[in-house]
Amino acid sequence: MNMNQVFLGTLTGLIILVFAFFWQTTLSGVTRKIVARFHKRYGPKFYQEFRDIFKLLTKTGISHGWVYNFGVMMALGGIMGTAMFMPVMQFAAFPGLDNIFIYVYLFAVGMLGMAMSAVGSGNPLAGIGVMRALTQMVGYEVPFMVVVLAMVYGHGTASVSELAAVQQTAGLATWNIVKMPIGTLVGFICLLGMLGKKPFETFIAPAEIASGPMVEYGGKQLGMLMLLHEFSIFIEVSLFVNLFLGGAVTVVGYAIKYVGVFVLASLISQALGRFKIDQVIKYFYRWPIALALVQALIVIFLGWGV
Amino acid sequence: MSETMDMIVEKDKKLKEGWEGISRFFRANSLWMLMYCTGCCAIELPQAMTSRYDMERLGMGPMATPRQADVLLVTGYLSVKTLRRVIYAYEQMSTPKYLVAFGPCPINGGIYYDAYAVINRLDQYLPVDVYIAGCMPKPEAVMNGFQDLIDGIKNKTADGWKRYRDNYEWYKKNQVESLGELRIKDEFHE
Amino acid sequence: MNFQLSVSLVIAGLFAASVLAWLLTKLNKALGAWVTVVASAAALTMMALLHGEIGSTVNLFFLQFTLTEYGWFFSVIMLAVFACVSFFNIYWMPKLIHPAAYNMLYLLALTGTLGAFSARDFITLFIFWELIVWASMFIIPFGKSRKASVTYYAFSAFGSLSMLYGILFLYHKFGSFEISSVLQQAAGDPTAAIVAFVTIGIAGLIKLGVFPFHIWLPQAHGNAPEPFSPILSGGLVKAGGFAAFLIVAVMPSYKAFSTNIEFLGRQLTMPLPNYALAILGAVSIVVGTLMAISQNDFKKLIAYSSVANAGYIIIGLAMAGGLSTGGALMHIFAHAIASAAAFLAAAAVVHRTGTTKMNELGGLIHRMPLTYLVYLIAIISMAGIPPMAGFISKWMLFQSMMGRGMAFIAAAAFFGSIGSFLYVFRPLSAVFLGQLSTKHRYVKEAPPLMMFPMILLSLASVVFGVFPNWVLRIISQVQTSVGLEGLTLEGTKIIASNGAIDPTLIVIIFGLGFLIAMIIFLRFPKSRKVPLMDQYTASEFIWTPELLHYATDFYAPFERLYQKAPRTETLYRTIVHKVSELGAFASYAFYSFKPGTVLLWVAIVVVAMLGGSVL
Repeated sequence: MNMNQVFLGTLTGLIILVFAFFWQTTLSGVTRKIVARFHKRYGPKFYQEFRDIFKLLTKTGISHGWVYNFGVMMALGGIMGTAMFMPVMQFAAFPGLDNIFIYVYLFAVGMLGMAMSAVGSGNPLAGIGVMRALTQMVGYEVPFMVVVLAMVYGHGTASVSELAAVQQTAGLATWNIVKMPIGTLVGFICLLGMLGKKPFETFIAPAEIASGPMVEYGGKQLGMLMLLHEFSIFIEVSLFVNLFLGGAVTVVGYAIKYVGVFVLASLISQALGRFKIDQVIKYFYRWPIALALVQALIVIFLGWGV
Repeated sequence: MSETMDMIVEKDKKLKEGWEGISRFFRANSLWMLMYCTGCCAIELPQAMTSRYDMERLGMGPMATPRQADVLLVTGYLSVKTLRRVIYAYEQMSTPKYLVAFGPCPINGGIYYDAYAVINRLDQYLPVDVYIAGCMPKPEAVMNGFQDLIDGIKNKTADGWKRYRDNYEWYKKNQVESLGELRIKDEFHE
Repeated sequence: MNFQLSVSLVIAGLFAASVLAWLLTKLNKALGAWVTVVASAAALTMMALLHGEIGSTVNLFFLQFTLTEYGWFFSVIMLAVFACVSFFNIYWMPKLIHPAAYNMLYLLALTGTLGAFSARDFITLFIFWELIVWASMFIIPFGKSRKASVTYYAFSAFGSLSMLYGILFLYHKFGSFEISSVLQQAAGDPTAAIVAFVTIGIAGLIKLGVFPFHIWLPQAHGNAPEPFSPILSGGLVKAGGFAAFLIVAVMPSYKAFSTNIEFLGRQLTMPLPNYALAILGAVSIVVGTLMAISQNDFKKLIAYSSVANAGYIIIGLAMAGGLSTGGALMHIFAHAIASAAAFLAAAAVVHRTGTTKMNELGGLIHRMPLTYLVYLIAIISMAGIPPMAGFISKWMLFQSMMGRGMAFIAAAAFFGSIGSFLYVFRPLSAVFLGQLSTKHRYVKEAPPLMMFPMILLSLASVVFGVFPNWVLRIISQVQTSVGLEGLTLEGTKIIASNGAIDPTLIVIIFGLGFLIAMIIFLRFPKSRKVPLMDQYTASEFIWTPELLHYATDFYAPFERLYQKAPRTETLYRTIVHKVSELGAFASYAFYSFKPGTVLLWVAIVVVAMLGGSVL
């Protein structure tokens, strides 16, 4: 890769990052309004999330040491790096080089940084929250990766931008939701786990473990964690849209798909209670993993869905 | 030469004030409350939070720990035991922070004014920004009180944390006088 | 004897150095330890310089050595680990009962591995293989348990004897002991191939610690003296990888066994014995991960993680493709370095606090920040997270598994990968982060001579994670030298048939993200520092740090799900019981004191000898 490509790619990535921030934060506010209507009330203004994040960034918080600060920066850096790789519509910072594993593992840098910083604050509730978050990760990642294996085997490429491009070329019939419906169902359930929406909200659990990892955060560190949350929602929902719904070519199409997935996830989460952590693992290692393996076997042995 | 220096200092102050104004705008419209429900007035909080009166319209929402919260709601009477812990929670919060007191008990003792274990005036131990009257205040009064707090933040009258910081010795003297020194007595420190 | 630089010179020099170490330690312990440091470092430099001598044969008395590409690769990794760990010997001299024997056996273990990797014929290989087992067998009891050494020796003896059977069988069939020629001839003959595969394979699997032969690994690695655990885990298990490499790549097994097998309408991509290896590797990953998650002892946890990583290596070797073998070799490299660094960090903690039980430690980052950083980099590499070297190897393995459509094995590998986040995080959180206990308030940072090798190993992890192609080019040469296809490397990119990554680019983007986060952080108001005990406790007053530290039974909800599952130790104990029952029966039937039984057996034997003509 010559320096020109790297420079242009980084510029595209930064633009995608800024777009992601404004897009997702507005959408979070709008979703709060939709959820409020679901609860038969009005809800806050649509730009409420912006106000929350900036309020937090202007507060004078506390600090428990250098690892508490460093972990937050490492987490936000990792997530922002992952967001820069994400293809949006037909723009991608580094097309062909954004392998699906980069998303999984660079995301894990973010999680590790946040976990490090949370436990570094010294509160045992943060340790419990991180333990639950990591255990939950074992639950939702394995079925998701098996479905992704089926997709990679079928299409012959592991790059997310190329997988999205393959689905955009031939219209609705080539979307993976139509060709691999079981896989899409498993992917959606795993998306609920990734987003941390009920019933998989175990690691936040405000009433049980006082918001888990975020227990000792205040001020700008919490503001950066909220930014991290927005970017990670962007990455997860975009990944789902690109892999299963075929990406999008127009802004309207992208908006409809993205908003549809996120609002559906939020509404489902409002109607369900919270699982305990061993129930989460038992749930994921029953039907989702079985369906994911069935989907993989269908693609590998029968050749359907390619 | 000195004129340009003055102009720079002026500009810097204006920038700081501008920045202050912006952050005050954000803080006023996004208050997170710590549900430190001390007494009977806490019954009225769920009504204010849920669908009928909907506190989220004002941008307020509940938060689990003092570190994350902006507003400490002292809802009702404070016994001596609870006051010690409320002071600890208030000092753990990040500045800028506000305190809203519900009911007549923090004002003058309310119906427990002659109890031996209850304090009468919260304002001598912690700085209060807004009082909400009523025993207990109805949810409309609670929402009204929150709106007063938001207006107070916007026109800089709600500065309880600054009062606490500037008059710290006076507050501490009152606290020690009423609550006594903190003696550590558990099985590890006999 | 000419003094030209050659493998035999290195090996002879190491023999001499081990005797010298023994003598000098008797005089002055620290000096003897320094001999090990100097000898390992010198051997590393000489081996690095010997890259040009690949292919030539040298003799040392009756032993024949030849340096192959893959032998050189394994030797350099081994020597790097030995050289870095040898600095720790200096600090352990006062703690050992027999320091002189320790130093001598340390260098003899090194000699054994070098000899095994550069052996030209099977007899040399066997002699040095046994030397490795012998030397390490006597070092392990210097630690906490003598029974661990017995288990280690029992398993290793089983493996070595099986390998000896294979060697003698091949000699009987082909009349020679030379490794590459015999193996390539065996590839043409199905019976010889299967015998060689099974016997040498068992030796390799036992040494590597793959299920079902993984029992000895946590006992030996967990109970060995602290400076020797990284050698065992980062170094000597790779000898098992070497044996597996011999049968899979040098033989090679995909030429020896047919690949034309149909299964439910789809052709298999690997011969059946390779599939068996891959399945064993997958089970080993799951077992190792689950056992590691439930450990409370720091060193046993890292030992179980070696079991899991051995599974990855075996899967990669069994797939025998260009990318998968490259992934396995890169994983050998990355895991050796990361595992050694993690064990060294554990050793530094033990040196300063005296315990490896995680629920007694806590908050050590405030007293030992550099050790924390070393451990953090090691676990980032072990978990396979960019920007460290472990990410590259895991990516290559996953990409090849996806390309071949091995759904179940890939599911086990994904489980192991995500599960590794769990067990690597536990020591970080329980030992280094959290509350600092009052009894460790005055613990000092690890001494500078200990920090030096730890920092070197961490730098290696980072550098080869950002620029992996420096190592991957060497690995590609190793692969082409045994007839497998090489790796496609373009500049800083690694290109596979179904995907490509550019690790340097990933690091650049991550760095850019970190920079933006740092700018956001520094721009907004400064936080005020509060002491560590000022926590959210629902405003309750707590004064004991131990009460605020979450370390005991860290993953209790997850562990409860598999607590009742059967353990492999139970299987072995059942086998032991059955064997002893058989022995008791034999003793009852044939060796009893009753005259009637003796007469019966005498009569039967006489009749049998006379051929039944008496009847």
